[in-house]
Formats: sequence, C-alpha cells, structure tokens
Amino acid sequence: MKTSRILSAFALPILIAAGGTSLLAESAREESQGMVLLRGLPTLDTSHSVAIVELDPESENFGKILSEAEQPDMAEPFHHLYYSPNGRLYATGLDPTCSLAEIGLVRDSSGAPQVSGFECLDTAGQMVGEDIMWTTSNGSEYMFVTFMGGLGGDDGGSLGVFDPQTNEVVKVIEARKSEIAEGAPYIMYPHGISAFEDRMVISSTVHPDLATGVGNSITVIDLNTLEPIQTITVEGETPIGFPSSPVEVLFARPSIHPEIEPAVMVNTMFGFETWSIPYDAATKTFGEGKVIYSGTENGTGVPLEFYGTEDELFISHALPGVVKRYDLSKLPQLVSSGPDIVADPGAHHMIFFTSASGRDLIAVQNNLLNLGNAEANDPTDVDFIASVNANTITVHDLETGERLGTVNFKETYRKGVENVEGLFGSGFVHHH
Amino acid sequence: MSKACLARASYITTRLRSSKSKKAVCTGLTAVLASVLFGSFDGQGHADPTPIEGFQAPFVFGRFTVPADNPLTEEAFELGRNLFYDPILSGDNTMSCATCHEQARGFTDGRARSVGHNGEELDFNAMALGNLLWGPQLFLWDGRSPSLEHQALQPLLNPIEMNQPLDALLDELSASAHYQEMFDAAYGEISEQAVSKALATFVRLLISADSKYDRYLRGEIKLNDQEEHGRKLFMAHPDVKTSLRGGNCIDCHSQFVTAGFAEGFDGFSNNGLDPDTDLKPGLSATTDYDGDHGKFKVPSLRNIAVTGPYMHDGRFETLREVLNHYNEGIVLSSTLSPLILEADNEVADPTQALGLQLTEVEIDAIIAFLHTLTDEAFLSNPKFSNPF
Repeated sequence: MKTSRILSAFALPILIAAGGTSLLAESAREESQGMVLLRGLPTLDTSHSVAIVELDPESENFGKILSEAEQPDMAEPFHHLYYSPNGRLYATGLDPTCSLAEIGLVRDSSGAPQVSGFECLDTAGQMVGEDIMWTTSNGSEYMFVTFMGGLGGDDGGSLGVFDPQTNEVVKVIEARKSEIAEGAPYIMYPHGISAFEDRMVISSTVHPDLATGVGNSITVIDLNTLEPIQTITVEGETPIGFPSSPVEVLFARPSIHPEIEPAVMVNTMFGFETWSIPYDAATKTFGEGKVIYSGTENGTGVPLEFYGTEDELFISHALPGVVKRYDLSKLPQLVSSGPDIVADPGAHHMIFFTSASGRDLIAVQNNLLNLGNAEANDPTDVDFIASVNANTITVHDLETGERLGTVNFKETYRKGVENVEGLFGSGFVHHH
Repeated sequence: MSKACLARASYITTRLRSSKSKKAVCTGLTAVLASVLFGSFDGQGHADPTPIEGFQAPFVFGRFTVPADNPLTEEAFELGRNLFYDPILSGDNTMSCATCHEQARGFTDGRARSVGHNGEELDFNAMALGNLLWGPQLFLWDGRSPSLEHQALQPLLNPIEMNQPLDALLDELSASAHYQEMFDAAYGEISEQAVSKALATFVRLLISADSKYDRYLRGEIKLNDQEEHGRKLFMAHPDVKTSLRGGNCIDCHSQFVTAGFAEGFDGFSNNGLDPDTDLKPGLSATTDYDGDHGKFKVPSLRNIAVTGPYMHDGRFETLREVLNHYNEGIVLSSTLSPLILEADNEVADPTQALGLQLTEVEIDAIIAFLHTLTDEAFLSNPKFSNPF
C-alpha cells in the first residue's frame, strides 16, 4: 500500500560503525536517549545520518552515539522527526527528492533499537517538508504535513493531507496568492501547524531558497472542508528589514490545560516577536492579534519552537540562544515561570527527560538552519542573521536551568545537528 | 546453595505463604510463543552456541533485557523447545509443559483451572505464554518468580503439578543421548541451571507480532469500522466532562504490548472481582504487603480470543462476560485499582462511579478489537510446535 518515489522500500541503511551496537546493548535506560538527525558537512567529508545519542550527563556514555544509520544519499538531510500516534517514525526533508520519509525501527536481540530502513514517500510533488500533525477531519484521522516549497514556484507552498495508515496523499491543499482572487485566503511557504476542534492554522514562513519571498501571515484551514478560509497578517516590528516570517504556531487550547482560553500563538522568525490571536470557539472567529513578546525589547531574536510539559510552555530563541519558560495555565498570556535556560546560539528543538538519579532535565538542540554556504561549501558556515549554528546539544537541569553538559557534534563527530527528538517521543509534549 | 535447592526453597516458601489462605500453586510453566520475525532458526548442534540470527522485534513493544548469563541462542531455543514438549519433565512422565500450554490456544489449556499430574485441580488458570520479554518481569499470577529462569522450574517441583524431583530429572536426561547432545551444544553440560535456562529461552522467544493489530500498527492494513471503534475505546479512559467514552483497558494493558506495565509492581492489579472477605493473597504473597492483597498480574491480551476462560481463576468463560464484569460487575474492596474504581462513561463524579456503563454496541466493538490481537501465524508457527 505504500509507494516509494526515490528509494526502494525500506532499503537497508548503511549502519555506521561506532561501537554502537555494544554501547546500545548496554544502555537499557532509553528515556534519556535522543533520536538525532545529523547533517554531514561537505568540507569535513561526513554524511547525513540518524543517530541515537545518550543525553544523560550522569551516564558514562553521555554524548556518545549509541547507534547510527546513514540517511539516503541526498544533498539535503532530513529536517524534523515525528512519531505518529501509533509509534511510527516520520521525517520531513529539505531535499526535494525526499521531502517526507518513514523511518523503520526495530529491536535487535539485545532489545536495543535499530534503524531498519528509510522509505521516501510519494508526496504528489510537494517539496521541502516541515511539520507534521495528526488530527481528524469529519471523524477520520489524517496526517497533515506542511511543505514549504509546495509544488514549486515563487509563491508555492502546500498542506499535504495523507492517509495515516497507507501514507498515500489524500489531498494537496494549495492556494497560491498569484492565482486567487484579491483578498481570498492564500497559502504560502507553510511551516508551522496546529489545530483545535475543526480549525487548523499554518504559518507562511519563507521561500525555501531564502531569497524569493518571505511570508508574514497565518492561514486558517477549515477541517470540515479541508479548504483555506482566512489569512491573518502577523507583522509588527521588522528588526532586520524582512517581513515577519511566522514560523511555529501553537493553537493554545483547553486540552493542553483546562484553564487556557483558546488562542493562536505565533513566533515570527524575522520579527523576533510572539503573537497571540484570540479564538472564539462558539462563533469560530478569530480576534485581533497582538504582540505578547517583543524580542527587540528583550534582547532576543529568531523565536522558533513551542514545547510544553504538564505545567510549563517553553519557547526557544535562536539569538542569543535561550529557552524562555512560562506558566502553561496562563496561556495565551506569557507569564514567566522561571529563569531563562541559557543554551547556545541557534537554540531550537528540545526534549524533556529524567536523569538516572531522577533529576528532571531539558536538552536543547542548537542549530537554526544548516542551509549551506556556496563560497565555503560548508552548511554550518551560514550565518545570514548572526551566529546561530552552535552545532551542539546542551543539557540543563529543568528546574534551575543549570547547564550540566554539552555535546558538540561538529567537534566530536564532524557533523551538524539538525533535530532532536526523544527516543519514542519521550520528550514530545504538545509540540503543536 | 545449589540452584535446585533455591528452586525448592522458593517452592516451599510459596507453599507456606499460600497456606495462610488457600493453597497457591504454580499455574504451569510459562510457555513458549514463537516469533514470526526471526526466520533462520535451525538449532543445529554446535560446540559454540549460535546467536539468534535475524532476530527483529517490534520497536514499539519497548526495551527488553535478556540475562547476560543466558543469551538467546539457537541451541538453547531448540533444547528448550524439546524440553517444553517432553513428558520427561514430570515425575511420572505423563505431563509436559505443553499439557497445560497448548500452542493453538495461545499456550493455555482451555480450562478454568489447570489439572495436575494426579488429576487434582490447581488454584489458578494457566497463563498464556507470549511476549514475555515485555510486561511485568515478575512471573506467575502472584509475581513470585523474579525471572523466567526461576519460574521455569516451579511447575516441575510442585507436587501437585508435575512433581518432578530435579535430581531424578537430571538422571533421566543424562541417560538420553539426544539430550546429552543438545545440552552439550547449548550449555556444555546437563544441569538444573541448563534446564531452566533452556526453558526460559524458549519462552522468551515466543513472540507474537503478526496479528491484525500488528499489521495495522505497521501500516499494512486498516481495521474495519467496528474494530477501529473498539481500538479507540480500548485506548481511552472515560471522561464524561469532555464526552470521551472509553473502555479503560489501556490503563492496565499498555498500548502496544497490551500487557501490564513493566515497572516494579505496576503490572499487578486488583480488578474488582471479589470483596475483601474473599480476596486471595495475590501479589501480597510475594511482597508480604497488605496493600497488595488481591492484586494479580495483568496479562498480555495478545491472542486473548483463544485463551479463555479468563481471570486468574478462570471464572469467566467468554470475553463478553469479562466486559460485562468491567461494565457493571465491579466489586469494591480495599485494594481495588483506583483506575477501575473511577472509570464510568455516564457519571462524572468518580466517587459515584458504577462501572464503565458502555453500550452493547461499544462492548461488541471492544470485543471485535480484541479479536484483532489473534496472531494465527504465531498459533501455528512450526518453530514453536511439538518437535517430537
């Protein structure tokens, strides 16, 4: 039932010898292990890979790659990891030849997880996959994927709707600004995705080439009809002279915390702001958006991800490389719940777990974009705003923010670090 | 102290504990379910045991561990399989492990309570054997065996079950050229430890992972509407406030393995079968803690449609009777699981909960889903069958 476009189905990956198997067999405590996407660096002659890394600073294996498998032979690596509700692992990809893939995982005779293969999925031409969300439309569950490049072109971008069992494309939702009536809702360079009841929101971020165009809005999708019904501009300050480039969105909703008043929260990558757009569930209408956090006023830039625990919301800011934390119950207001977690430049994705002794920890992946530099031919040399690629994962005490350890992937493994996810989603809590 | 002495001591201790209430006996050797996933499994005799090749288990079943001193090898598996099916393991050579653990029944015997070598009925229902690498790593209904190696000898030593003195068994095995060769290839000697290790290896490799549900999890098929309805109910704890209807199953039977939780004693529960006055010791016989009174191991629901009768004492003949129990038959007691106590699809106040109060349609749906856990390949896999 699956289709494969680039690679034969679940072709065996190339397992990279790193003493990994024996280490992994010894490391039965999986909650502190991260599933990490690593980017090979052309100038360092390394390959893109998926690795399982020990992230508990109390472990003697801290920072070690326990298992590693090379990604399919592509110019650009996989970008994001997501576990489906049934525990299947997916990766979105920056490379147009493999913009969405399923990663096979099995356990060997020691009980250790192993990557068994990759399958690039047929996306019906949609390119540059970003975020994935599983939710329902008219009672049926679907896998929704944002494709920042969409079907191509200067104002492309699409929301792919997939059958969550077969991975087959059910629908491509596209609404090019150049092809719709004046004032009609459009979809352009979508990246972030979130949903509440029968409303989904996706962001309009930036053309994948970072040059053709930049977005400044979010688009509302009616999950009953799977059609765009409204585009809302989210733009305030322009500290670097670009449109705001909304990136991740979070539909704050009572299912996250019962005291939350529904609202769409938006981080603007180039506006350095976090916005809140109130939502009236009774009338299904969105109110006027407002800035609830200003990076220019607070010395931060490039806000990226929303992550949550049971009682806190965390927002990463690539500049200077911090994670700010807020009382989850107070959303959509941003009420601080503690000191910043000072990570490294490029603070981006994160996971939550406990150490062997029971200490609550947060690990932050610190790389904004590994988009390459033509002159140096080294993806990690790109600093189109400032220094935003530390190539590290930093591990901190969750309560105090104290840094307990740092894994520098460029120094140790000659690779960049693209994404981190908990092994079997242990660190994944209402990311959308 | 030798392993044989340890095993006997454990049995005697169990007998003494059990005599406080009703006699507790081993329910039978934890049996063997075969994985359809490891294909090359020939078990030819070798001087050096051969690691299992091509072994693959589902990732979502979770981490498992195998004792370092009893690695999974083809020779150990094949020896364990032979022992499992051989009546030589009983004192009068009339019963094998398979007497109470039939492959086609998910390695159960179809009886409410198993019958020992002399025809005496035991206190407990024969536990299904499958996917024991996962779930609680304390074995038997009351968790008194801390490992499969330990558990393997309990039914043999039990005078009501197989009544097999180990010394006599070792003499019989030593007299067999067939077993001399197999033990030599697997462990290099015939010993109590080798017997327990071989049986434990066979049981460990009884992996059921190709049911309709497994194929659904792998994305190979879709469940039909009724099965999918049942799956959603299975996975949901009812919440009247949010109109979420649920069968509350997953609160005890973890999502993919459908067994009890592996951590500590989390995989043991009092599921509301009896009042305090009639509760059996259950886990408390192992922990000597009153708060564990009436708690029994939460079994895997894999192949549940073929492993009836149900519960630790086999009191329910059918899955519908089981569902009716959870729906309207919960009996209050001091150690009743709070997750069961407060689960009600109609009453919002958990202190007033009456039972699941599912509709007939919902009960039918859950039963339909439970049937998707039947793994026909496992139940008929020749690698797990009688080798004689």
